[in-house]
Amino acid sequence: MSSRIEILNEGGFRSDGRRQYELRDITIDMSQQGTADGSAIITHGLTQVLVSVFGPREAKMRSQTLYDRANINVEVSIASFSTGERRKRSRGDKRILEMAATIKSTFEPVVQTNLYPRSQIDIFVQVLQQDGGLLQACINATMLALASAGISLLDFVSAVTGGVHSTSPMLDLTALEENDIPHVTVAVMPRTGKVTLITMETRLHVDRFEEIFKLACEAGKVIHGEMRAAIRLRTGMLISAMQSVSQNAGEKEDEQMYEY
Amino acid sequence: MDIDLDGDEDFDSGGSKLTCPGEPLTSAQDYMRGHGTYVENEEVIASVAGTIERVNKLVTVRAVRTRYNAEVGDLVVGRITEVQPRRWKVDANSRQDAVLMLSSVNLPGGVQRRKLESDELQMRTFFEEGDLLVAEVQAFFGDGSMSLHTRSLRYGKLRNGQLVVVPPILVCRLKSHFITLPCGVDLILGLNGYIWVSKHVKQSDREGEEGFDAEAVYSNQNDAIDDFTRIAISHVTNIIRALATRFIPLSDTILLKAYEWIVEQGSDVKDLLQEDIGDALVAGITAIG
Amino acid sequence: MVDITIRKRPRAEAVITQRKFFKKTARGKIIKVLRERYLRDDVSCGVLSCTECSGEAVLSLDAHLQHKLFPSGHFILPDTNVFLSQMDLVESEMFTTPMVLLQTVIEEVRHRSLPLYNRLKALIKTEGKRIWVFYNEYRMETAIVRGEGETPNDRNDRGIRKATAWYSTHISSTHRQNRPAVILLTEDAANRRKAEAEGITTISLRRYVEGMINATQLLDLLAAAGSDEIEPTKAVEGRQALYPDYLPTSTLLAGVKAGDLHQGHFNADQYNYLEGSVSVQTFSKPILLVGREHMNRAVQGDVVAVEVFDETEWMAPADEVVDQDATLKNDDADDSGEEEEAVVDAESKAVSTSPSSNKQPTGRIVGVIKRNWRAYVCHIDSTSLTSSNSTSLSLQTVFATPVSRLLPRIRLRTRQAPTLIGQKILVTIDRWGNTSRYPEGHFVRALGKVESKEAEQESLLLEFEVPYRPFGKAILDCLPPEGDNWVVPPKADGNLAWRDREDLRNLLICSIDPPGCQDIDDALHARALPNGNIEAGVHIADVSYFVHPDTPMDSEAASRGTTVYLVDKRIDMLPALLGTNLCSLRPHVERLAFSAIWELTPDADIVNVRFTKSVIASKAAFTYEEAQIRKDDPNLRDPLTASIRLLNSLALKLKAKRMAAGALNLASPEVKIHLDSSESSDPIDVEQKEMRETNSLVEEFMLLANVSVARKIQESFPATAVLRRHLPPPKTNFEKLQDILKKRKGMVLDISSSGSLAASLDRCIDASQPTFNTLVRIMATRCMLSAEYFCSGSVGRDTFGHYGLASEIYTHFTSPIRRYADVLAHRQLAAAIGYSPLHASLHSKHHVERVLDVANRRHRMAQMAGRASVEFYVGLALKGRGEKQGVKEEAFVIRTFRNGVGVFVSKLGIEGLVMFKRDTQFDPDNYTITVPSSTKGLGDVMISVFDKVVVNIEVEKDRNTQRGKVKMSLIEPVDSRAL
Repeated sequence: MSSRIEILNEGGFRSDGRRQYELRDITIDMSQQGTADGSAIITHGLTQVLVSVFGPREAKMRSQTLYDRANINVEVSIASFSTGERRKRSRGDKRILEMAATIKSTFEPVVQTNLYPRSQIDIFVQVLQQDGGLLQACINATMLALASAGISLLDFVSAVTGGVHSTSPMLDLTALEENDIPHVTVAVMPRTGKVTLITMETRLHVDRFEEIFKLACEAGKVIHGEMRAAIRLRTGMLISAMQSVSQNAGEKEDEQMYEY
Repeated sequence: MDIDLDGDEDFDSGGSKLTCPGEPLTSAQDYMRGHGTYVENEEVIASVAGTIERVNKLVTVRAVRTRYNAEVGDLVVGRITEVQPRRWKVDANSRQDAVLMLSSVNLPGGVQRRKLESDELQMRTFFEEGDLLVAEVQAFFGDGSMSLHTRSLRYGKLRNGQLVVVPPILVCRLKSHFITLPCGVDLILGLNGYIWVSKHVKQSDREGEEGFDAEAVYSNQNDAIDDFTRIAISHVTNIIRALATRFIPLSDTILLKAYEWIVEQGSDVKDLLQEDIGDALVAGITAIG
Repeated sequence: MVDITIRKRPRAEAVITQRKFFKKTARGKIIKVLRERYLRDDVSCGVLSCTECSGEAVLSLDAHLQHKLFPSGHFILPDTNVFLSQMDLVESEMFTTPMVLLQTVIEEVRHRSLPLYNRLKALIKTEGKRIWVFYNEYRMETAIVRGEGETPNDRNDRGIRKATAWYSTHISSTHRQNRPAVILLTEDAANRRKAEAEGITTISLRRYVEGMINATQLLDLLAAAGSDEIEPTKAVEGRQALYPDYLPTSTLLAGVKAGDLHQGHFNADQYNYLEGSVSVQTFSKPILLVGREHMNRAVQGDVVAVEVFDETEWMAPADEVVDQDATLKNDDADDSGEEEEAVVDAESKAVSTSPSSNKQPTGRIVGVIKRNWRAYVCHIDSTSLTSSNSTSLSLQTVFATPVSRLLPRIRLRTRQAPTLIGQKILVTIDRWGNTSRYPEGHFVRALGKVESKEAEQESLLLEFEVPYRPFGKAILDCLPPEGDNWVVPPKADGNLAWRDREDLRNLLICSIDPPGCQDIDDALHARALPNGNIEAGVHIADVSYFVHPDTPMDSEAASRGTTVYLVDKRIDMLPALLGTNLCSLRPHVERLAFSAIWELTPDADIVNVRFTKSVIASKAAFTYEEAQIRKDDPNLRDPLTASIRLLNSLALKLKAKRMAAGALNLASPEVKIHLDSSESSDPIDVEQKEMRETNSLVEEFMLLANVSVARKIQESFPATAVLRRHLPPPKTNFEKLQDILKKRKGMVLDISSSGSLAASLDRCIDASQPTFNTLVRIMATRCMLSAEYFCSGSVGRDTFGHYGLASEIYTHFTSPIRRYADVLAHRQLAAAIGYSPLHASLHSKHHVERVLDVANRRHRMAQMAGRASVEFYVGLALKGRGEKQGVKEEAFVIRTFRNGVGVFVSKLGIEGLVMFKRDTQFDPDNYTITVPSSTKGLGDVMISVFDKVVVNIEVEKDRNTQRGKVKMSLIEPVDSRAL
């Protein structure tokens, strides 16, 4: 009975015990997924998204080949078990296509596509579990996956959802909150502070907009810190793994040569 | 080396400095930008996540995982994706498919034979879509795609084995990328991260008596492979997979050590895919040294 | 900039912080539910001087040492059941103990009863109460998870105990000395036992109150339920059927055919929402339906099948006013499936049978043959909202209370509930399942703010199904192309307009109408003939010249049926060009007319009558008042005045004849609204309509014309003549009035014929109360059936009569601009005099019946809409007159109930209800109610039907629905406000 839950109670707590400006727990897993060139699983609270990036690689469709830059292809699939009501969404579902288009337009100004002419970057987004902030999770996971695929990016991108309950803004909404209050998703590039995406599907009063927009930009920077740390950890881990063995291997080679 | 980094969060690994996309590295006035960086507002900024490298005034960032960046002379393993007029398209794990010109392959009936129109009509008898081959990077085209050649008896169509794909960075440059393990398994470590594991073929058999046996070179038929070799091939591929997921660079010695370790432990083929055995393997081979 | 942080959640905590489960909805869908919770250590305990918790605090330690059992000071921590059953006590100003209110408790209250929850929320904010809301579900130490097999109730109890225990340890760790106790207040004995076992101080509310200083006063407030144990909430899955299933349609139809079941329209009772009735042919009295279950989901107007009980089970209608809003105010919109004990109790009390002897057939509805659902004008009940936040977009289930008291509340799911509060909205009923207490509907659209004129007007029109859209192009295309410039063409032989028309342009014709009348559809003339007789003529606008059968304009007019007059608006049946110009018999212009011309003897006996199409030019348009003045002014001797005098003398004789024949002089409360100005249309006053001699003049001639025309068309078209009749009322209708008159006033009402009724009504005079006679007439009118149009071939010749007018035949002919039946009568009359052939459709009995059915319905609706409009303006006027204290008016008691009286304020023409809160002695047989006097020392006061009382009338807004309600209270002989 969702309507029975207060979005923001008198004590300043939200329905899940957070306060207004507290973001949900973020976990990031950047381990290798299959044969993808880069992949990441991110969870924001209970929302979980897996993104696999393939490419840059030869475009499967010749017609999509661009002669001066890479083509970004985003495909979103929402697992039928991810939502409350189990339902199968077809590939042609308008909502899914729209989300794919949103993600694509978010990253087009960020990816240095001019470095990869005649090729294609495939981004496969798989939604595993939904509890609000879906687009935000998709964008953040895509960002991580692109970084782990070693694709050149002009800047980082981090996205967050903000909403306004009455006059109180709040960040990182759950599904419960998204159903109830007007909300907006903002994707920022933390270094320059530029905004690469802002989208909303609900009506928000213009006076409230600026406030929530600024807050979301700030929150984007906080999430950026978290994501950056995760990328560094992962990169460092891979490099140390490579170095530890290759050094050993090198020594061994020397020994072997010495034995000869 | 005087590169400003906000060092507090740096994950220091063996002295190499890490960075993330969008992080400023240094002033563009003092340094030149290399791969993995770009210049904006007089600053060199990283565009990929990886290690910062500096050669004199050139700053580059090397991403840990990328697609294969080819160099002329590299040995690669590829797969035919398309047959086009006088050329094949080959997937070689690069940003674009590589090209294998009809003129860059050995044709039946003599190594130096002139290319005929009939050859153009029966290109599929040499290579079909899906065929695997080993080749060498010959040159680059204007658009950045590479051209391959198989004009060597060691190159050509692959059979009697299976393909493993690893990140290209894990394949070390070796004196020879054709490796024969004592268990009767041949390895071709393609620098593009494609590795061919197959039944061992004697040097003499491969070369044939007349120097070039078209039947054998372009054959789609596997030879008879005994069970022992089959298991050995599976062992080796699983070793490669286990090592690759733990990001261990592959070289002939490591693979040999790993195989020995496996035999010592008496592990089954499928055991290798288990997390703990894989970890033990890595621990085992790094500890040996 | 605010501090934005990420709430990190240790993985180990996931067991209590994440909940993933599947649930099955009422519709059988499986839904996956994901919930998470972030546990924190910064939830403040609210105790002043606490060293660990920061932030504001309201729980102070001093000054509460008054309790006998806890001399060292204490806080109380009440359980949910305290609020559910003892809210009055907790709300008392004397109950000031600092209180810890747990989140668990608040949520449980919210889940159990929204209205109580709203009271609780108000309580928290009340000044002087020291209540600290502790969010125990978010505090690391006090959050708990529902265990396997644990009911939600047990889980909450456990949570409350755990929080209490935590408070104790928390306080003892932060306070070295002077440690206050934290006491768990609960009415649940089992919970108390468990708490004691865990070493928690616990006590029942009664025992706690007994120990307080002001125990004596507070104990009074302790609800009786306090001694009982509260039952846990019933599980929702066991949703039982609240209503019996309907029988299959085939069974219903067979039953009706066989006579086992009875078919009729369902009528809800406007005083008691738990009663309804169905009028059927088999019984002289309507079948009574008592209780929700027997009414079985029927809605006003539905065609239902009723099963009648044995005569031993027959009941009399309850004599109590049962207001749905008052009884069910604590009902929840969301879980209607659950029978709340309180509601059932209240309802069973409300339907308890009265000892009264006048039993009537009683039964239950076993099926609905035809639903008569439409869009209803409603208000949103604001207490049923879960969130009144204006930005809230959540789907809420709310109640919509229809404006009409005859309808049940409608359950509605909407995302825009907060914005709809205070608006009139349109709601349609979708279904009424037998597990749902209320019908379910959906929001159609908003009409506008409550009490804004536009919204009220539109809602009236919608409520009475008045078609009010502007006329479409196809209809307007039927008008003469000349538009406003149309004139009667010059007289010439070849001209079609003049074909077979008499030229009456030089007759002294005038019209007499109410002031401001624009659609003048009748005009009169009279002149003395050389033979001593008098020629009198009634000239009716010739609408049928413009409105031809089978045109879009004709069918639109047929479907509109009638022009509707609201106080501030007129909704035309025909486009305004016709109504107010071309057909309006304005003075000094030539107009086409249909004339009825009589030759009458000076004694007003008809010598002959003829009907003709004509061209007239009215010489003057008078108001009733002007005509009256002109007639009464002896100085005026012009021919026009003479003509009016002649008409008047005839009218007096005609009326006398009619009365002698037994026509009834009935009364209905009619008032007139004075509008400030046409722009603002703010009512400034209400007054009763005045009747002048000239009103009666016009009326008599119209009746004469109608009767004459009726005879003519019935003669010519015996099978399809459009007539109007008024059936004599069934005797049973008068039983109650007769009884009241006899018992209260000793008067006898003879209803054997309309003549005798008229005579006995004339005798009902109370010298002390001049308006008494009018009152009786009004009440008698209500016992009558309403007049109706019919097709002469459809009913027996002996039922043609018009009871009220005491005429054996009657039709409507005189107002074709505003009534469609008149248009038909015109066409038939034109055919009868050979002016034009009759259109084929008017030869078809079936077609005429159908058109007249519509006309009857529209006519009824138009009357009701008009009345409702007057009522609305009376309300506005009242509001304007007495801003705060209301208006005092004399009123008559017209009905008595067990708990109130119905009164009629003749000056304002409105009826109202005075409710008594205290018990009264009610004597249903003698129609009296005895109430204790408001001033001490005086004895009880008896109020009976027909008593004159003084009432105070105020218009108050219903707090929940924003619906304006006229509220009346008695001032004399007793002040009911004091009761």
